[in-house]
Amino acid sequence: MRNHVSRRSFLQGALAVSAGALAACVAPAAPEGDMADEGAAMEPVHLRWDTFRGIGSGWNEERIETFTEMHSDVTIELRPLAGSGQQDNYAKMYAAQAAGDLGEIIAFDPSHYHFWRAINKDIIMPIDELVAADGTDLGQWFEHFLGLQYYQGQLYGFPSWGWAGFDTLVTNAVHFEEAGLDVPDPVARDVSIDTIHEWAHSFYVEGERFGLNISHNEATVVVLCRLFGSSLINEDGTQCLLLDDPNATEAMRWAYDLGVVDQVLPAPGDIDNAGGALVAGLLTLNWCGSLCVRNFNNQIEDEGVAKASQILFPEREDGRFPSQLRGGTWNLRTDQDHADVGYQFLLHIAGHDGSLDFNLVARNFAMVRPDVVDSLIEDDPIHEWFISSLENGIPAHAPANSRGREYTSAVQQWTDLLLDPNQPVEFEQGLQDLHDNIQAVLDMDPA
Amino acid sequence: MATLTSRLRLSGVSEMLTTSRQRRENFYGYLFLTPWLIGFFGLFIGPGLFSLYLSFTKYDVLSSPIWIGLENYTKMFFEDPLFYTSLGRTFYYAGVGVPLGVVGSMFLAILLNAKLRGLATYRTLFFMPSLVPIVASVVLWKWLLHADFGIINQWLMDLGWSDPPGWFGDRRWAIPSLIMMGLWQGLGGTRMIIFLAGLQGIPESLYEAASIDGASPIHKLRHVTIPLLTPTIFFNMVLGIIGGLQVFTAAFVATEGGPGFATTFYSLHLYRHAFDYWNMGYAASLAWFFAFVIVSLTIWQLRLSRRWVFYYGS
Repeated sequence: MRNHVSRRSFLQGALAVSAGALAACVAPAAPEGDMADEGAAMEPVHLRWDTFRGIGSGWNEERIETFTEMHSDVTIELRPLAGSGQQDNYAKMYAAQAAGDLGEIIAFDPSHYHFWRAINKDIIMPIDELVAADGTDLGQWFEHFLGLQYYQGQLYGFPSWGWAGFDTLVTNAVHFEEAGLDVPDPVARDVSIDTIHEWAHSFYVEGERFGLNISHNEATVVVLCRLFGSSLINEDGTQCLLLDDPNATEAMRWAYDLGVVDQVLPAPGDIDNAGGALVAGLLTLNWCGSLCVRNFNNQIEDEGVAKASQILFPEREDGRFPSQLRGGTWNLRTDQDHADVGYQFLLHIAGHDGSLDFNLVARNFAMVRPDVVDSLIEDDPIHEWFISSLENGIPAHAPANSRGREYTSAVQQWTDLLLDPNQPVEFEQGLQDLHDNIQAVLDMDPA
Repeated sequence: MATLTSRLRLSGVSEMLTTSRQRRENFYGYLFLTPWLIGFFGLFIGPGLFSLYLSFTKYDVLSSPIWIGLENYTKMFFEDPLFYTSLGRTFYYAGVGVPLGVVGSMFLAILLNAKLRGLATYRTLFFMPSLVPIVASVVLWKWLLHADFGIINQWLMDLGWSDPPGWFGDRRWAIPSLIMMGLWQGLGGTRMIIFLAGLQGIPESLYEAASIDGASPIHKLRHVTIPLLTPTIFFNMVLGIIGGLQVFTAAFVATEGGPGFATTFYSLHLYRHAFDYWNMGYAASLAWFFAFVIVSLTIWQLRLSRRWVFYYGS
């Protein structure tokens, strides 16, 4: 009689052990109950800060140190997220949440289209009650950036970074000087769409230099449409305007003429690093934003090759400036025991000192508070160039179904196809395809 | 009778002894197998079966999966415009890149198997590109192949090509650009090393016999080297096609699937659904279909190999 373990029974046993091990890996049930009771803050409190913002600059550590100096019973663990791209870090945060391991201090930036999805999935908690309990003055942040933190009437965070999107043409002034032209006033908004069209041609030198670069990402396409008095999608985020609004159609026609008919714009993928091309004198005008001007200015090594300036787009008929007010956020995770302490930390990183150093040390564009503007201008006068866009800009519109990633991907890829000079499509067909594919995303079920 | 009984008893004792030894051996055998088995079931079979279940669900990681039957598969075959195009691009990449890579590596290995001075240096030089991280490789090739400022287009124009390709920025040339980059990196890599090992396994006596029969170097290549290398060619083809069909990183880093979806390969399409759009259930259905395709292709190659792979001495 052979009564030793058979291979089959051993494998069955191993499978059972593995299944058990897998089951043990399932996220623990979220703790029940609402916010912490008042007494909880008196106990030693440990918070975890999951972020990819500011990592490596020393800003995060300084914020933790100065906070814990004031609150000796609190420890904060910085857990840097280091995905290869910003979007990868959201994947990590979603996975951490699913595993019950997401930190108490987090950030799901509206301008990366994760904010609303994270709220709908009950990851971010509203902070209205904490604001009321603390008596926080919400007027310390610019209204347009604080406005991004609201969803369905509730406040979910404080502004981290914020800018007016792709609201400017970053300009290499050297090329203007060489052409004997006056460098446009960086804040005058007196350069017309027709002049930009003309300069795209006149500064273009085949094989040597591009006059104008228009990337095909959503940030550019939106402001392009707004420059012509329209937008890419409606305010509700439910309808693509490209075919419905003649102004939006005209905007895309303008870009199509330059890129496909006249072929004076870089083809898709021709210029990956437009900032580098500007610095190297290979590009005169780059459609980008305020942050790009500052970076361009900082990267210039030889002022004989490149000198930083900018051209702001002309005012629209409705009095607004073509822009897309975009911003980030600092949030608290739901289901935590010490939300009141976490809230104080949010105030610490989004307050005057935190915000200022988030800009100057962590190098994020954080002109989100009126009280940091003077200091930022003192640090770099270029900051002053963007105040008008911040004060009179147009907020970003997001897909109502929280399908932001599908939306930006559809815009980028189908604009590539519309504006491809190598395999041109008829304008009407290309625009129809672009419109239909954006609309298809807006019509999807909510994420 | 008594003799028979005693023989039976002895036989029983012997069986018991064997069983006891076997038990111990089995115990230790399985004990040492256990870590691998836990990994196999816990990290491969378990998640694999779970992903099969997910492929029949709507699942976004943050909510519980909702059973939707065959809806993901129906969407894949009948509604997803990028499904067939990404599959086609992937086959294009693998169908062109893998044969070129295998043949190129083979001839490179044949060259580097010659008895020359400084051979080790040459082998090292040809192997080096395979050590370059793919991101660095992408940066390098994007500059080399830049449509307007790249050195390769400058050369092509000097040679009289007035309108050279747009490479990564041109939908027609984006995949060939990636293939070129892959060849630069892969020709002299591990595939070449495997070919070198295969070449050094060919008995010298066969070449001597061929020489006596008056065979030229071309004849030796055709009638000795290549037939005896067919197992190595087959091995490299199977691995190459599996790897080629899974192309992801180069396109992800170099072109992000663009321009205009031109390099949106199947794996990239799958990745986007899984980790950008959080359609994890749909991504699982894409993954299972692709696993089926790869396994089918591999079985087909194995069957086909009976017709052309020659095992020396078998």
